[in-house]
Amino acid sequence: MNLSKESEDAIIEVSKSHSIFLEGNLLKVLESDNAEFVRYIEKAKKKDKETRQKRLDVTKKVQSQNNELEKRAKDNDRLMRELQEVLMSAENAKKSVEQDLDVLQKKSQFELIGNIVNVALSIIIGVGVSTTLLYGYALYYSVDTTVIGNAWSNTFGILLTNSFSIIGTIMGVKYATSEGTKK
Amino acid sequence: MNDIINSILLVDDENLFHLVFEDACSLLDITLNLQTVSSSDEADRLFAKWNAQGTGKPECVFVDLNIVGSSFDGIELIRRINYVHGNGVVVGIISSSSENFEIEKAKEAGAQFWIVKSDEIEPRLEQFRDNYSTYKDRTSEFKVYT
Repeated sequence: MNLSKESEDAIIEVSKSHSIFLEGNLLKVLESDNAEFVRYIEKAKKKDKETRQKRLDVTKKVQSQNNELEKRAKDNDRLMRELQEVLMSAENAKKSVEQDLDVLQKKSQFELIGNIVNVALSIIIGVGVSTTLLYGYALYYSVDTTVIGNAWSNTFGILLTNSFSIIGTIMGVKYATSEGTKK
Repeated sequence: MNDIINSILLVDDENLFHLVFEDACSLLDITLNLQTVSSSDEADRLFAKWNAQGTGKPECVFVDLNIVGSSFDGIELIRRINYVHGNGVVVGIISSSSENFEIEKAKEAGAQFWIVKSDEIEPRLEQFRDNYSTYKDRTSEFKVYT
């Protein structure tokens, strides 16, 4: 592509007065018989090449940094997912331990209640049997049974009442424990 | 000026690579007319338009393999360029991947070359430019530039 002499002179003048040069692919298609404009084109091409090389280097650097950032973002996402999984696993383990501890506590409570019941039943049965034996002995040997008879009936009444009281307490404890578990 | 490719279309979702490719092409005097698009859909629409108008199509097309945000990948775009639009342009892949099965798929779709993207893209583009005439007259074998 050829420009008029006036255009060439104007372009050269702008480069001299303002250091502004033509850029880009246009320079590759410009032709001229004017030696001064040919020198101008060569100079402009050189400047354009330098600018493009600088831009290419910067762009490549940015591109490389972007790729690195993307890679790190992916790594971060992966780490976050792994962290989330570990956290969930720890929470599940905590729940499991809490459940085990709860079961263990209830087991100890039931064992304690069982022991209390066994002791209470032993005492009740023991007192009942001994009073009955004493009453039977008195009847067999025709001893005065006024006192022992009343004592026997009173004892049985008390023991019966206490038995119901113990059973009620046990049922209450069991009910309260099962309500706590449901919550 | 003999080696200069009249017009090139680059299809790549990475805008920074558009700049890299443009500067590399300019520095290596590969082309004076470079058009860039970011999706395979857009490229497909352009080919349909150029077909309808009968003018404007590029001489050579560089297609990225995985084009994020597009309906189809680079290999499908090459298949469409070759078999749907039938433009007979020089077309190939420019990708950071160099998986053999992908390369085979690209060959089957009608790709003529595969350029591996890296920080040093210029030597590969230079080699491609030197072989370009053989791609244009369809005498060159498929080649991978690594």
